Amino acid sequence: MSQHIQMTVNDQQVGPVEVPEGLKMIEFLHEYLNLTGTKFGCGAGVCHACTVIVEGKNGVSEVVRTCISGVERFADKKVRTVEGHAKRNSEGEITELTPVQMAFLEHFSFQCGWCTSGFINETTALMERLAKAPVAAADVEQVIEEALKEHICRCTGYVKYYQGVKDLILNTKGLTY
Amino acid sequence: MKATSLSRHSFSRRLKGAVLSLAVFGGTAVAQAAQDQAGLIAQGKYLAEIGDCVACHTPQGGRELSGGLPFETPFGIVYSTNITSDKETGIGHYSYQDFYRAMHEGISPNGNLYPAMPYTSYHLLTDADTRALYAYFMNTKPISQENKDSEIGFPFNIRMGLKAWNLMNHEDSVFTPDPAKSDSWNRGSYLVNVLGHCGECHTPRNAIFAMDPTAHFQGTVLDTFEASNITPEELNRQNWTHEDLKQLFTKGYSRKGTVFGGMYPVVYHSYSHLTEQDMRAVTSYLLDNEADIEALPLAFNGHDKAAPGYNTYMGYCAGCHGQDGEGRPNVAPALAGNATLDRTSVYNAVSLLLNGIVSQHYNSTTSFYAMPAYADKFDDQQLTDLVNYMRTTWTAQKADIGVSKVKDIRTNMKQSVH
Ligand code: FES
Ligand code: FES
Repeated sequence: MSQHIQMTVNDQQVGPVEVPEGLKMIEFLHEYLNLTGTKFGCGAGVCHACTVIVEGKNGVSEVVRTCISGVERFADKKVRTVEGHAKRNSEGEITELTPVQMAFLEHFSFQCGWCTSGFINETTALMERLAKAPVAAADVEQVIEEALKEHICRCTGYVKYYQGVKDLILNTKGLTY
Repeated sequence: MKATSLSRHSFSRRLKGAVLSLAVFGGTAVAQAAQDQAGLIAQGKYLAEIGDCVACHTPQGGRELSGGLPFETPFGIVYSTNITSDKETGIGHYSYQDFYRAMHEGISPNGNLYPAMPYTSYHLLTDADTRALYAYFMNTKPISQENKDSEIGFPFNIRMGLKAWNLMNHEDSVFTPDPAKSDSWNRGSYLVNVLGHCGECHTPRNAIFAMDPTAHFQGTVLDTFEASNITPEELNRQNWTHEDLKQLFTKGYSRKGTVFGGMYPVVYHSYSHLTEQDMRAVTSYLLDNEADIEALPLAFNGHDKAAPGYNTYMGYCAGCHGQDGEGRPNVAPALAGNATLDRTSVYNAVSLLLNGIVSQHYNSTTSFYAMPAYADKFDDQQLTDLVNYMRTTWTAQKADIGVSKVKDIRTNMKQSVH
């Protein structure tokens, strides 16, 4: 049995498209939309590599693991994947990275890069949250720990990720007081 | 002379023999006593495991039996105490009488214990078992850790009040086997009611917080979760077999689902250590049946794709629990015949969806992943639809849960948790 699904992915309207029952969101991204930047790690909701951003209630973004989520969960929602962050020109070429992407590049945060899309999405959602509700500068480390602690990096590059996020938050106006 | 010398000789020989045999006898006696003591300690260790002392007397990430785990009671927070053999901060200075009184009457050398310590169940312990427990505790590794003061508000902080409570709710009686039942059933009753102190969670309490004997094992809400109805009627209705219960108690899961909340430490520290014979006694008592029970097929009634909960299930749950609710080994339990769904009360089903479950590890080959909390994802209507969907798809229960019921659970839970 199939069903029709539609959503917005990286500002592009997708569907209505016919998909088979039981299709997971990560498969939809890879097989239907050719968006392979979202990585499949554990497939069981543990490593958070497959995390994407969904526009949640009241404009607050939330992160969702796509390996354990069926496409139904994203029906009529606005979804952002790692491909949706950088600015592109009309040719589709990347012209500018986001501050989060830059921070990870500058800190040499990733090694094999498998976990990177998850880290980028989670950090982006965190930055958006902090812009709405800033925290005390002294609490930044704890806030980062809370937000990123579930993300597993098999190359164990945590220090550089955490350091990159910390510098970025402390150097971005309006996120801390 | 000859005779004398002979007799002297034989006397000294006899004396030597006597000394020797005394030494041998004395040595045997000492060895025997040491063996008895070791046996007693081992027995006490087993009993302490079944009593699950570790679960309450070990702080998060702390050292076993050193106390300090907080318990939220309706009156404030009490902390479990150090029950290692340390003489200053633990119970190493207790005489057997002190220990007996603490276990049976809830009175320690420092005064009345709060009934969070289940002496209202332990008071039925036999003298022999209490002695074994004493031998074990006096031989635990001493850990020096001061006890924490409780944070109980006036007037409950006055321990004199506990005297009155004990007068009303507690008597130190003895365990009386039911002559109409088998030895195994009675052993099960002793393990479950006394050492296992299952009633402390599974029996509703009356207005003054004592176990209500008229509602034995009928289940009651404890903060976030409901301790299930574990009466034989309910367990048999759900077609629990001896094997199912044994699996649940040893591995933490069975074909009818996993344990969660407060039952996880019970399985981990306690029931998984039951001997084969004691396990059968426990299951015979709980099911009130000695005979083997036939395991009936688990329900999977097929998907009703038009039902409002279907899409929610597929979007949020099927990733781990499987498209047809088949579950995934070491990730998530199957849903067919799942005991949490197959109950009249939906409290736990709703609560699990709202609060999630922490990950659980049982042994090197069995664990379950954490289940996310969906409190801020689902509104009451979505939750109701989902719970109704799951119940009708995988149990014989009806889709008759109203949104007001779910709303009630959510609201009251918030109040009780926060
Ligand atoms: S791949 Fe989704 S959490 Fe690991
Ligand atoms: S960089 Fe390799 S998994 Fe993180």
